[in-house]
Amino acid sequence: MSLQLAGHCHCRALRVILEPSRPAAELPLRACQCSFCRTRGALTTSDPAGHLFVEAAPGALKPYRFGLQITDFLLCAECGTYVAAVCEIEGQLMGVVNVVGTELAGFDGRKPDPMVYDDETADQRLARRRDRWMPVSVVEVQPSI
Amino acid sequence: MSGAPFSWRAGGCHCGGVRFEVALGEVVEAQSCNCSMCAKTGFVHVIVPESRFRITKGAERLTEYTFNTRVAKHLFCSECGVKAFYRPRSNPDGWSVNARCLDTTEGLDLRIESFDGQNWEVNAAGLAHLSKEPA
Repeated sequence: MSLQLAGHCHCRALRVILEPSRPAAELPLRACQCSFCRTRGALTTSDPAGHLFVEAAPGALKPYRFGLQITDFLLCAECGTYVAAVCEIEGQLMGVVNVVGTELAGFDGRKPDPMVYDDETADQRLARRRDRWMPVSVVEVQPSI
Repeated sequence: MSGAPFSWRAGGCHCGGVRFEVALGEVVEAQSCNCSMCAKTGFVHVIVPESRFRITKGAERLTEYTFNTRVAKHLFCSECGVKAFYRPRSNPDGWSVNARCLDTTEGLDLRIESFDGQNWEVNAAGLAHLSKEPA
């Protein structure tokens, strides 16, 4: 049976399920220092060999873009929670999950790595994400919990 | 607290659609709360009386979210989702501003303490004085 880590936004209209290839303790924990992530104290993780599923109740998903305009930050339209960020790379939706917004289990008490990506070009950003982000599926469905 | 010098500080959400100003002294008490809501938004509370806060832009862009007792009015920008301030249940006569949403904390002595919001009923009374208007 594969390991699953599940979490949700505050009002539960958005649910995330991470199917990692290894235990949470072995996954990275990143504190992006961009202007958006700092307003929320966001901490993200990704597992290139795993998969992230996002279940969104009809109408609950609000994507937000800024900066290079290549990334959708997935917000809950009901409660404002930031759950994940996704972008399309070579036809595949890739992303990271915000373990703070979703209160994903297994990351408590860990010291995150501060990350600064401000000087990247769009090509550099996509190349980094191709290596480090994970495949994501977004499904419009009433979350199963 | 008599004669404490306050100065107006500006801040806002991420997309710039919602802006506010809050009057703060040099020493700013702030609370980092572990309740179900604050844990997800990373909200760092600076609680002030009504007279020391004003919305300067984008009130119409705010989405209100309530839960449980529905006393707290959680407000976030409908475009970028950022919660820059709200009406807290502990201080419904005042405002709680998110220290993370100030344009700068330069010149402020921000003293962030942990607040145990998981045991809100036991601890909330300790915050009530923060929104009282000066006599």
